[in-house]
Amino acid sequence: MRIAEVIGRLTTSKLHPSLKGARFVIVLPMTLEALTENSPNRGEEVIVFDLLGASPGDLIGLSEGGEAASPFGKVKTPIDAYNACILDQISI
Amino acid sequence: MQLGRVIGTATSTIKHPTFQGERLLIVQLEGTDGRPDGEPVLAFDRFGAGRDDRVLLTSDGQILREQLGRLTPGRWSVMGLPDRNQS
Repeated sequence: MRIAEVIGRLTTSKLHPSLKGARFVIVLPMTLEALTENSPNRGEEVIVFDLLGASPGDLIGLSEGGEAASPFGKVKTPIDAYNACILDQISI
Repeated sequence: MQLGRVIGTATSTIKHPTFQGERLLIVQLEGTDGRPDGEPVLAFDRFGAGRDDRVLLTSDGQILREQLGRLTPGRWSVMGLPDRNQS
């Protein structure tokens, strides 16, 4: 899981049937310099499935690829980016 | 597996239930030459690694699924602490 900063939310009117009522946040992955030197540069934007209620400014644990689908168990899902945790504190 | 350097720790209250009670490190993956590789990651640690420690990480989800639970969205975990003197 990479660490990512939430910069916004994304609403959808039409959606894959398996995702009724899903909520998405827009995040930017944190680079080493961002975490250690407060640099503004970030990784590429990712749209993330969010059940935890993250809001702009939060740092989250960004699960991607196969792991992002694990929480859905046997249910087939197109989700490839999942908010696994909202970080309270990071100490570098 | 891959080597990484612990650059910090992270705490989280609102999280996937399988993360309950687990310790999260912030690790910068590195080559054996010490060059950083990609963005830092959150890794589960049951070895008590500390800041600046080098750690041996695995991205095998199977270990995590066995330790944390089948539905865990976690990925990287510490599987060992390499000795300092490597050739």
